[in-house]
Amino acid sequence: MPFDVWDGEDESAAGRFVPLYVLVNGRTSPRDSRLDLATQVVALSVDTRLLDPEYLRIVERCGNWISVAEIGAYLQLPLTIAKVMVDVLVEQGYLGVGTPAQQKIVDRHILDSVLAGLERL
Amino acid sequence: MERTSVKIVVAGGFGTGKTTLVGSVSEIPPLTTEEVLTEASVGVDDTTGIESKTHTTVALDFGRITISPDVVLYLFGTPGQDRFWFIWDELAQGAVGAIVLVDTRRLESSFPAVDYFERRGVPFVAAVNRFFGECAYTEDEIRSALELTPEVPLVWCDARDRNSSKLALIALVQHALGRLSPARV
Repeated sequence: MPFDVWDGEDESAAGRFVPLYVLVNGRTSPRDSRLDLATQVVALSVDTRLLDPEYLRIVERCGNWISVAEIGAYLQLPLTIAKVMVDVLVEQGYLGVGTPAQQKIVDRHILDSVLAGLERL
Repeated sequence: MERTSVKIVVAGGFGTGKTTLVGSVSEIPPLTTEEVLTEASVGVDDTTGIESKTHTTVALDFGRITISPDVVLYLFGTPGQDRFWFIWDELAQGAVGAIVLVDTRRLESSFPAVDYFERRGVPFVAAVNRFFGECAYTEDEIRSALELTPEVPLVWCDARDRNSSKLALIALVQHALGRLSPARV
């Protein structure tokens, strides 16, 4: 049985193969529990030259407020990966976080404004 | 930072019009995001006896409505397959509530959703989708078939119609507001 020996070639016709967990150092869930798939984030004005391309792609998508779910959809990242990568970027100060959907919606003001917003549609 | 996300879940059985409803009111064409799951399962090949893992992809469709400069409402359709309850948990957590779409030709396909939100105390409205033509049942018949408690609103809607979908969302938010205790600041 022949041994499979890596020839040092990462590139192939099908693109670059990197298991997704490599991107997130094996992290499986966000450390910041506020990160929900609807939580919005925005790029902060910091130097991004040291970022890996996979992370830079995300920061570049965050010029305006955007949710974790949208990042996943636009960049075709599985949700869990998108969430963990956003978490890393927040932790490292590249992204700012908005207020997530609350644990329990008890804020009448928010519901009132949602109602008014829907009635304007 | 002041940028608030609000969620509403759009649930119902397979083919009840969830993505249609999301698409009719969303300001962007519905987006799809995927969750990749790894399911541990025992291999069928007896000679190896090695456990194999299979990947399942669950698709979530969603849309957005900008409510104000600092509040955005996200509408998430539940996955077509009812068995991925942990995804429902993530969608329902912190949500304003849910719209359970009902197809009167297959009332039973909406049972799991009704049951789910009922058990977790998540506010929901049942929205009977008229998309499928004339409805052979009265409101009372549908309520009784779905075992809806009297306080759960039932609305008739056409998920393809923006205004109709909007009215279903409004009914849900009003219902959620009504469940808040009035004695609050």
